[in-house]
Amino acid sequence: MKIDNSLPLEYGTEQNKMNIFGFWIFIGAEVMLFATLFATYFTLEHRTGSGPAGSEIFELTPVLIETIVLLTSSFMIGLGVHAMRIGRKNAMITFFSITLLLGLVFLGVEIYEFTHYAHIGAGLQVSAFTGILLTTLGTHGAHVTIGLFWGLFIILQVKKRGLTPQTANKAFIFSLYWHFLDVVWIFIFSFIYLKGMM
Amino acid sequence: MSELFPRKQVMGFVFSLVLTAAALTVYFLDVSFTVGITILLATAFVQAAVQLVGFMHVGENEDKTMIYMNIYYGLAIALFTIFGTLLIMVWDM
Repeated sequence: MKIDNSLPLEYGTEQNKMNIFGFWIFIGAEVMLFATLFATYFTLEHRTGSGPAGSEIFELTPVLIETIVLLTSSFMIGLGVHAMRIGRKNAMITFFSITLLLGLVFLGVEIYEFTHYAHIGAGLQVSAFTGILLTTLGTHGAHVTIGLFWGLFIILQVKKRGLTPQTANKAFIFSLYWHFLDVVWIFIFSFIYLKGMM
Repeated sequence: MSELFPRKQVMGFVFSLVLTAAALTVYFLDVSFTVGITILLATAFVQAAVQLVGFMHVGENEDKTMIYMNIYYGLAIALFTIFGTLLIMVWDM
């Protein structure tokens, strides 16, 4: 296998470059997936039927915790990739672990939020609004959940095999996925929560 | 230790926090819908750009032209979907 040493390890082979480009195409498709969810949300936002409206159920504190936690985890994985590029394997694993822990905190708060909604009569089947709200949030939450397992396997692989063009490439692609989840959350935070509470 | 915290990424993180705080003004201050939505659009899209360029390193790849084209394509479809839906279903035009 030909490794180009002038580039960071994760771009080092032809296959690596194609993997990264392919993942960007996947992210493009994900952008469209979330766009359809947002379009549906904006359509059904005020169709609350006999259920509550967004302004009645949204609370700033848990949402702000989720936002800060996810933003910090996105920063952490960025530091992880940087550590990987300067060959600091242990630092990289530490940063990736902090990333996943913060992801876990995010998920915990979101699960609390969902049970709270169900508790106050804003479950999935109450109205068109709660349906699309929980579908949009849930799709993002499902991505985070998958990301936690994916990230865990990446950490285990780097631990076992060290930093090779393959493991570095996988770790970098995972970082793209994680940053993308934060980007989606920024839009959820702004156009679902803040807009709803405005 | 300090080589583990590159300036560019730390600044990107601080900037993201500032933008989040700026977005919160729509909650704490009594702003009109138009002003609020304008603030949110600005803070959200700038923050997304910080993530893409600062953290996801789009620009440093030799395939960057294709990656940018792919992002613009995804974004165009996203905006057409969202604003097309708004136009017909919400604004009733």
